[in-house]
Amino acid sequence: MGRFKNNKKSRVIVKPIPKKNQEDVSHVTGDKIPKSFVFSRMKLPGPVKQLQMDLRKLMLPYTALSLKEKKRNTLRDFLNVSGPMGVTHFLMLSKTASSLSLRVARTPQGPTLTFKIHQYSLASDIAQSQLRPRCPQDLFKSPPLIVLSGFGSQELHLKLATIMFQNIFPAIDINTVKLSTCQRLVLLNYNKDTKLIDFRHYSIRLQPVGVSRRIRKFVQNHQVPDLRNLQDVSDFVTKAGYGSESEGDEEAATVTLSSDLGRVNKGSTKSAVKLQEIGPRMTMQLVKVEEGLCTGGIIFSEYENVDGKKEKLKKKQDEEGDEEEEEEDSEEEGEEGSEEDGEDMDED
Amino acid sequence: MSTGEEGHMAMADRGSRKRRVGVKKGTKAARNKKQKSKPSTSDRFKVTMKNQKLFQKRARDYNSDDDEEEDDESKKQPEVTIREKIFSDANMGPNYEEIEEEDNDENSDGEDHGEIESGITKFATDGCNAFKIAFKAIMKKTKGDDTLGPVLSAHKHLIGEKLAEDEAEKKAKGQARKAKHLIAEKGHVKPGSYLDSHEKILIGVATKGVVKLFNAVNKAQHAQKGLNPSRSKDAKVLKKRRKEAFLSELGKTKTDTKVWHSLHISYSLSFIMIYLESLFLSRLMHVETS
Repeated sequence: MGRFKNNKKSRVIVKPIPKKNQEDVSHVTGDKIPKSFVFSRMKLPGPVKQLQMDLRKLMLPYTALSLKEKKRNTLRDFLNVSGPMGVTHFLMLSKTASSLSLRVARTPQGPTLTFKIHQYSLASDIAQSQLRPRCPQDLFKSPPLIVLSGFGSQELHLKLATIMFQNIFPAIDINTVKLSTCQRLVLLNYNKDTKLIDFRHYSIRLQPVGVSRRIRKFVQNHQVPDLRNLQDVSDFVTKAGYGSESEGDEEAATVTLSSDLGRVNKGSTKSAVKLQEIGPRMTMQLVKVEEGLCTGGIIFSEYENVDGKKEKLKKKQDEEGDEEEEEEDSEEEGEEGSEEDGEDMDED
Repeated sequence: MSTGEEGHMAMADRGSRKRRVGVKKGTKAARNKKQKSKPSTSDRFKVTMKNQKLFQKRARDYNSDDDEEEDDESKKQPEVTIREKIFSDANMGPNYEEIEEEDNDENSDGEDHGEIESGITKFATDGCNAFKIAFKAIMKKTKGDDTLGPVLSAHKHLIGEKLAEDEAEKKAKGQARKAKHLIAEKGHVKPGSYLDSHEKILIGVATKGVVKLFNAVNKAQHAQKGLNPSRSKDAKVLKKRRKEAFLSELGKTKTDTKVWHSLHISYSLSFIMIYLESLFLSRLMHVETS
């Protein structure tokens, strides 16, 4: 048995793989598009791992969907990688015996918000509980909108939280945005009494209003209706069908579209906005705000039982310098937040 | 030669020992077996030259046909059948043949050989018989036996204990696993019904937000709708509008150089013609890339 050496085949042809370059800078606002990493530094049990995956999908497209972390990776490693890749936010999940916590931090030295998650539901649970779960194909191709409600503008830590969340998702310019790209919505609702933040993730759907249900279904689903019992096509078209119970709600949710959106929703006609929940559902509580990336002085702590020693050690002379930087940063972000009036609504 | 025979004897002994299932060294059964096998060995030691011839013949006939032995075989038919029964389970094909042949062969030689033959066959049948008896004993026993299966009584205690231990371990492990599972699932809530009142409120809030946004977009984009960017007149109007917006935004921010530069670049990217300060632009590019 000799070895075959086929000279023609031994030449290896390397095809250049086209690299998908994600834009770093938004054409619209010129800011860096915020990118995020969702990870955890410890081994997570089953459902929490799924929660992490759901969060990653939520942050699409500007996140690493299949980020693989090893046990020996430290925060330092992630920081080093985030620089060249332009990652601006870290979302870290960690589970201890007593609690599950989510830390939202801005790289490289930004503040860290620690949320304790009281309850959570996975995306698969929610899909199971629905009658008709909906997931169109290009749902995750564009970033979600964000709606913050109930946060108020008084307390500092809440302000910081709103600013942080506003900046996690890229801004949109109302002059140029295409409504077809606004397919998802993230809602953060703060409840003053219980100090709990509800986190929800919805998909946006537009339905034409004023069209009878049957015709709408017919046009949307392309299913030939059953005309057996009807004498005339006009019966089908003009039959006064019963109204669905959600039609009352639709009144409030009616918008006039500026452009056509698919076959059904034509521009300059009224359409109703319908939200259906997808994605994880969380109830969290803001527990701690730190100056640095998981280090630094504590700006706010829910439980007030701060370990004085550790924190005092970290208060060095350049702490004042850090604080100034943070103030500038947050103020700047605040200004940017108010400019992007199209993106988010503050409601009280 | 002698060593060969002894070697064969040893092998034979071991062979017979092998067939006695479940008999350990120090037990009564082993001692009985040894006593049983001893007389056969005494018989065997008589045979030296004949045995050797026998073995040679065996080796020769191992692969040959049985044509020569047919006459003798017919005589030996009843015995053969009985032996067949015994040997059917134990896979003794070649041995059986050999014994058969040697039996026929040696009988023709004479009595002496017959004795020898009986010794050898005895050895062969002995071993098989022993196996047969042991096997049948076990099979009979297991007719009414419990879950442990065909186990000799000496071992039952040990196996019982081991099983009990295993169960206890499993229980402990199961409990540990359950506790771990509970901790993992802590906080995980599966929504019972899809829409309860709280959820409805939240959806209402979110819907309001979206409606606000879409209306704002509509207003902004509708105003621009009529204006076609390619027409120069309209282009000017567009520019004016955007410039106003840009300047107003500038006015809002602090004069933080970083912010100003980035805003400047964003609009420069989309409107290259507007600002003739190309030098400024190049300088800005430098700042961004550095």
